[in-house]
Amino acid sequence: MGDSTFSGGWIFAFLIIAVLFGGGGLGFGGNNAAMAGFATMADVNSAINNQTTQNALGQIALSSQNNNYETAQLISSQNMQMMNQSNSNLINAIQGYNQLNSSVQGGFANVSAQIADLGYKMETCCCGIKTMMLENRLQDVQAALVASQNANAIASQSQYLLSQLGTYTPV
Amino acid sequence: MMNLMGNPMIMKAMGAMMRGENPSDFLKNLANTNPKLQGLDLDNLEGTAKALCEKNNVNMNELADKIRGFANSK
Repeated sequence: MGDSTFSGGWIFAFLIIAVLFGGGGLGFGGNNAAMAGFATMADVNSAINNQTTQNALGQIALSSQNNNYETAQLISSQNMQMMNQSNSNLINAIQGYNQLNSSVQGGFANVSAQIADLGYKMETCCCGIKTMMLENRLQDVQAALVASQNANAIASQSQYLLSQLGTYTPV
Repeated sequence: MMNLMGNPMIMKAMGAMMRGENPSDFLKNLANTNPKLQGLDLDNLEGTAKALCEKNNVNMNELADKIRGFANSK
């Protein structure tokens, strides 16, 4: 705003207002009654101090905002690190689970093979037992046959002897 | 300059000036409610200002310089 702003009589309007409503204390022509009401140097210093305080508060607020931003950044960074760690842990757990699953599957396969082998052996053993039992039965039958043959021979001899004695008549 | 900012009449006049209002009309409107402005010749601001300064023993040129300084600092 330059002096040209006061064209049209505004400077005189300000003069009238300053004389009627203003005051002295700042070198406005002396400390006369017409100038009473303007601020003193103490008021100005107080205002400057207030302005200084306001600036300091603004700087504190700005610093606080920066700190908040840095804190948010730090938290975000830490959260990211925690997420990465969690993901790494999860991946390790999944890999461990996969290894365990593979190991268990291998174990089951081995057990299944052993069961199958055992089944085969049992079947073989059972077959042997059955064979042995049949052989025993065959031996028993053969023995019974021999015994029967012996009995028949004895009976025939007895019949012969009895017939020789005349006490037996063949049918 | 803070003291001028703290004067409501000065600040009100600054606002009117920045809005491009006519200074005489502005003071006439103020005179409707303010007895200090009543009875003044508000169509001849220069003459009224000089008369008020002389009556109150105020150096008009010095005060005008101060006001210009304040305005230029804004």
